[in-house]
Amino acid sequence: MSILACNGGAVLAMRGRGCVAIAADRRFGIQAQTVSTDCQRIFPMGQRLLLGLAGLATDVQSVAQRLKFRLNLYELKEGRQIKPQTFMSMVSNLLYERRFGPYYAEPVIAGLDPVSLEPFICSLDLIGCPMVTQDFVLSGTCSEQMYGMCESLWEPDMEPEHLFETISQAMLNAVDRDAISGMGVVVHVIEKDKITTRTLKARMD
Amino acid sequence: MPSTKMAPAPFSLPASPLINMATATSGTTSVRFAHAPPPFRAVCALPLTKMAPRPPHRRHFVGAEFPSPQLPGSKMALASVLRAELAEFSPNFPKNFPKNFPKNFPEDFPDDSEGIPEILRDPPGPPRVLAAPPWGFEAEPEGPGLQILHGTTTLAFKTPHGVTVAVDSRATAGSYIASQSVRKVLPIGGRMLGTMAGGAADCAFWQRLVARQCRVQELRNKEPVSVAAASKLLANLVYQYKGLGLSLGTMLCGWDKRGPGLYYVDSEGQRVAGAAFAVGSGSSYAYGVLDRGLAAAARSEEAACELARRAIAQAAHRDAYSGGCVRVMHVGPEGWREVSHHDIAELQEKYLE
Repeated sequence: MSILACNGGAVLAMRGRGCVAIAADRRFGIQAQTVSTDCQRIFPMGQRLLLGLAGLATDVQSVAQRLKFRLNLYELKEGRQIKPQTFMSMVSNLLYERRFGPYYAEPVIAGLDPVSLEPFICSLDLIGCPMVTQDFVLSGTCSEQMYGMCESLWEPDMEPEHLFETISQAMLNAVDRDAISGMGVVVHVIEKDKITTRTLKARMD
Repeated sequence: MPSTKMAPAPFSLPASPLINMATATSGTTSVRFAHAPPPFRAVCALPLTKMAPRPPHRRHFVGAEFPSPQLPGSKMALASVLRAELAEFSPNFPKNFPKNFPKNFPEDFPDDSEGIPEILRDPPGPPRVLAAPPWGFEAEPEGPGLQILHGTTTLAFKTPHGVTVAVDSRATAGSYIASQSVRKVLPIGGRMLGTMAGGAADCAFWQRLVARQCRVQELRNKEPVSVAAASKLLANLVYQYKGLGLSLGTMLCGWDKRGPGLYYVDSEGQRVAGAAFAVGSGSSYAYGVLDRGLAAAARSEEAACELARRAIAQAAHRDAYSGGCVRVMHVGPEGWREVSHHDIAELQEKYLE
């Protein structure tokens, strides 16, 4: 089995009007066996910045922790919150440092610019190639299913509530067509003054 | 003096990762040696040229031409199965270690597999394990060899009221869920059910063939065919294709004049009677729930069906390749009927609180 499909998992981020949403499934399994249903794939990296990682679970944790370390140093040195674009470069650098023995984790970044509050989403591949889009980004074992759902459901300039509904439906239905993702979905919606976190009830099979 | 009952030969069961068997404590388990010589008139008189693809010619082993009970192609049956370099059978090892033991064991070990037809040998590759390792499965070598544990969970167990059968309904292609509404129970006549695990096409085709043959026999003998006979028909049919890559792990459940009947038949040639079986990638999880409640399930049909439902729901939760909905069926003296059909997500709301 492919290394990226060993533990399973999926992360999805969408952009709306003045807000972004990021969602991830909660299954942690070892190939066929489900070990737990409360795995954390989305990590807070700033006041309005969240990082989601899909792939091999050990590398997901390692990358998140190393990144947090570098981010803390950055904030101490600069004395301010990092911009999402800069954070994307930081992630890209960290992943490319391991070009010939990579971390098997594919990140998705969603956040608002700390000053202008402009929404920003991007994804990177496992060796750090960044891709910024204006609609949605995703990574995980059910990426094809998620692409299909997002292409059908996404529309521009969605308000936070509508964005939440859209990303939830996209995520739930995509992971229902993947054997190694699912077992619950957690959704974060980042607006200029708050981050709303909701855990969705999903099929537990 | 000819004896119809052979003393059980000291052999190890051919590795069949399709099943972890729960052998009954009531002693109804009987293990038949898969290579038993067929009678002169084979039980399956089905003209293969008309109905089924012709298998390659096989010799029928008679008397002294029996292959030895070792797994064909292996050096030492148990050692190869357990992946040990050398199996230590004697308590006085290494004192009794023979002096002329070949230094380059296993290369130098006399290999009698040349006398065994190509078709009966193990496929090349790492030896198969008896039970799935606890943390996932290794990638199987490509080729017509056996494929370990297909994505499904099916179970069946006997009670005084009949046989309770429960199956999930998920079909996966790799990790993609191809369908959540597959029918994994096939009726064989009005009085028997066959569950499906392994290759769907294989199961569907061969069980239909067996159903046809059972009907013919019923018409000839004016008596419903027994579960033992039907399972023997199926086992003999698929045994002709052993080694060619058929994948079948089915339980035949029925009620005949001897009471409830339950046989597990697979494409390796195993045909085993028992009181409870779970088959598929989720079978271990199903056994956990099943074994706990079997005694209580004998009380009533509803208790038995509820136990079967819970076992499948648990397997669907833990196993990635099982899910969809649970179908519970029951085979009693008056025939088979579908008891219930629940979506697993709804069941789990009830159970996993």
